[in-house]
This record gives sequence, structure tokens and C-alpha cells, in this order.
Amino acid sequence: MDGVHDLGGRQGYGPIDVNEPEEAFHEAWEGRVLGMVRSMSRPEDWSIDWFRHCRELIDAVDYLSRPYYDSWLQTYGAMLVNSGVATVQELADGKDRGAASTLPPALAEAQVPDAAAAPVLFNRPLSDPPAFQPGDKVRAKRHRHSGHTRLPQYVCGVAGAIHACHGGHVFPDAMSAGEDRGETLYTVAFQIGDLWGDVERPDDIVYLDLWESYLEPL
Amino acid sequence: MSGLVNKGRAMTTKKIEHSSEKVAQIHRELHSHLPPEPALRVKALESLLVEKGMVDPGAIDAWVQLYSEDIGPKRGAQMVAKAWCDAAFKERLLSDGAAAAVEMGFAGWGSGHLKAVANGPQVHNMVVCTLCSCYPLAILGIPPTWYKTAAYRARAVREPRAVLTEFGVELAEEVQVRVWDSTAELRYLVIPERPAGTDDWSEDQLAAIVSRNAMIGTERDLAPTSQGGN
Repeated sequence: MDGVHDLGGRQGYGPIDVNEPEEAFHEAWEGRVLGMVRSMSRPEDWSIDWFRHCRELIDAVDYLSRPYYDSWLQTYGAMLVNSGVATVQELADGKDRGAASTLPPALAEAQVPDAAAAPVLFNRPLSDPPAFQPGDKVRAKRHRHSGHTRLPQYVCGVAGAIHACHGGHVFPDAMSAGEDRGETLYTVAFQIGDLWGDVERPDDIVYLDLWESYLEPL
Repeated sequence: MSGLVNKGRAMTTKKIEHSSEKVAQIHRELHSHLPPEPALRVKALESLLVEKGMVDPGAIDAWVQLYSEDIGPKRGAQMVAKAWCDAAFKERLLSDGAAAAVEMGFAGWGSGHLKAVANGPQVHNMVVCTLCSCYPLAILGIPPTWYKTAAYRARAVREPRAVLTEFGVELAEEVQVRVWDSTAELRYLVIPERPAGTDDWSEDQLAAIVSRNAMIGTERDLAPTSQGGN
């Protein structure tokens, strides 16, 4: 979707706070959100891509102005309501008014170390060979749609070159709508001078990881 | 959904309703009804999930402790230091970052498709996620807030040199900047250059001078300071 989250190249956001303290969490509630998200029981049909899409759907002003983990809380709240697991009123006052959860069990404290050491894999075997090879010239398509996508606006219509092919990876546009299927993933190199007209050094490179159907041959 | 998703193909049957309009409406309702302070909103959610039996408060504590103390940039620093001292490990790290993370005992969230990129005399790498906040959590821990801000996400792919200047990085004339926008599940780790004058240092001494920002790419020249030296 063409949301405010698609920030690459947008201007007007000011300087970066380069002197931020190094600790993991700056407020205690931030860690609580992360811990809840990592261990709560959840409907089996949630996915990282559905989460990302629900986060993108936060009101644009809230998206840009709320603290980061607050946007996670808002997103999981919306996902819980959407899945019929909680109501807005329950999230507002923290009081359970529904039946007992029938969801898969929550992660127990003793299971956390194993869960933290288990990588999630997103590669998927494909029967079709990749359409492009490293070195091929490609262009990012201009097609936009209102669902979830990982094709950022700032490369649409711009020519680049295939840098690497990674085989099949879960296709986010489909996964966010409940369909787990793979599509060939590539790293594509774009000359920064092809992306923007006022860059300091046009031969600097921006690499993006893009799925096959985002690209057309050039 | 334009031409990107094959509409003729049957969707997996799921009870979830993937309606953007409905979720946007729920967001507006939450905005109107939830407590004004983030800390109060979080407290309400935790109380509710505990009452519903949907979360173990001890598990939340365990995650907080893990990411506050155990899983952080020290892991990445150890990998970089080992790569500096052991050319074969560096080769493995560059060719299969996920396996290198397993080898170090650092596998976890975001290590499954780890991709290391090495700086050189004429190359400077820098990592961003313009669409959200993707980051190699198992290797570098919780990302700094600035990494997740609109300012960094917007500017890193358009004026990376201005961003680097803000972080105090000076680039020699011959250096090319390579920005990695983490738009898929690959997670990027920058291997900075080993500073001169550290030939006789141990891996532990070297790891002590590898900063988090150097592994994101917003720092370049690591100084052989008293932290690492004898």
C-alpha cells in the first residue's frame, strides 16, 4: 500500500539523534511489549507479513508520532480485535469479558531460551528456475496495490541490475493475505544517481531485496 | 491487487479476515478508546492477556532479561573479531551468515538469512530498513531507536553521505557507499575494517572495540583504544 510507512527518500524528517543511550530499552514498558509479542498465544494464521500490513494501516499521524513499541502494541491490539480474540473495550481497561482462550498455549518462561535460539526460515523450494541471473538488467515495476507489499515506492520504474539470486522466499504480498507460497527473491543493485537527481555521488549503490514479480526484464 | 498476486489461484482457507479497511477502522477505534499514555496501554494489554491465559508474565521477564543482557551487539562484535583473526571463518561468514551464526551459538531471531557485507579501503556499507525496522536481532540485539525513526529510514537511501556525516563518519575520496535496504528477510551485518596497530591483539581485545554502529554502518574507523589494548 502507498502508506506513510514507505519512507525511503521522503524529505522533511530532520536530523538523527546520534547520541541516543545504548541500552536496549529506554522505558520499562517497551520491554514488556517485546516480551508479550514474543510469547503470547496467537491464532495460527497470523504471520510476520500480516503484522507488517496491520502496522502500516495505523493512522498516518499516529504512525509517525507514536513511540516505536507503542506502534507494536497498537498493531497487536488491532490484530487481536480483528481475529475476535479481544474487544476494544477489553484492550482499553485490561479486563477480560470473554470466554477462556481456545488458542494454542502461550510460551512458558522455561521455553524462552529455546525460542530465542530458533531462527525462523522463510526460504521455500520452487520448481521453476529463476527468471533472472546475476548481471541481468531489470526494472522495478510501477504497479501499485493497496495490500501489503515489500516493493518500496522509491524504486518503482527505476532500472537496476540483479546482484544475487536467493531462490524461493515467502512472497509477502500473498502471505499477508494468508497464502504461504514462495517466489524467487533477488538482491537488486540501483545506482543512487538513477534514484534521485540531487545526490552527492551518483555511483553510490542502494541494494534492495525484491521478489521476481516486482521486476521486469530490461 | 494489480498484477502482483495471482488472483486465479485459490487462497489457503483461513478464518482470519484480511481486510485492510476493517483493520484501519479498528485502529481508529483503539486510538479513541485506549488510555492516553503508552505505559498505561501496555499495562492494560498485559493484564488482559494474563487474565485470558494468553501470556506467561515470567516469559515476558525472561525476554526482557535476554535482550537486556545476553543478546546484544557483543555477539556481532565477537563474530567480527573472529572474522578478523580467522580468514576461513570470514569466508564462511560472508558465504553463509546463518551457518556462521549457528557455529558461534548465536542463532535466533533474524539469523536464519544473515548476510554479512565487508567494508574495504574503497567500500563502505550501511544498513537500513525503509519499510519497517528489520534488523539482525540475534546478532546485534534490540535496534537503536534512531534506526527505527522516519528520519533515518527516509534519508539513508537518498543522502547516505549526509547521514554518515551526522554520525561523524569521514569518507576518503575513493570510497563508494553501498546501502542495503532490508526489504525481505535477509538481515545485514557490516564487517568493519580491522584497525591498524592491532596485529597482536586477542579476539576478546578486538571484540571490545567493535561498536554496534560500526556493524550497522554508521561508524567506520574503529580506534584501537584502551578498551581493547593492553
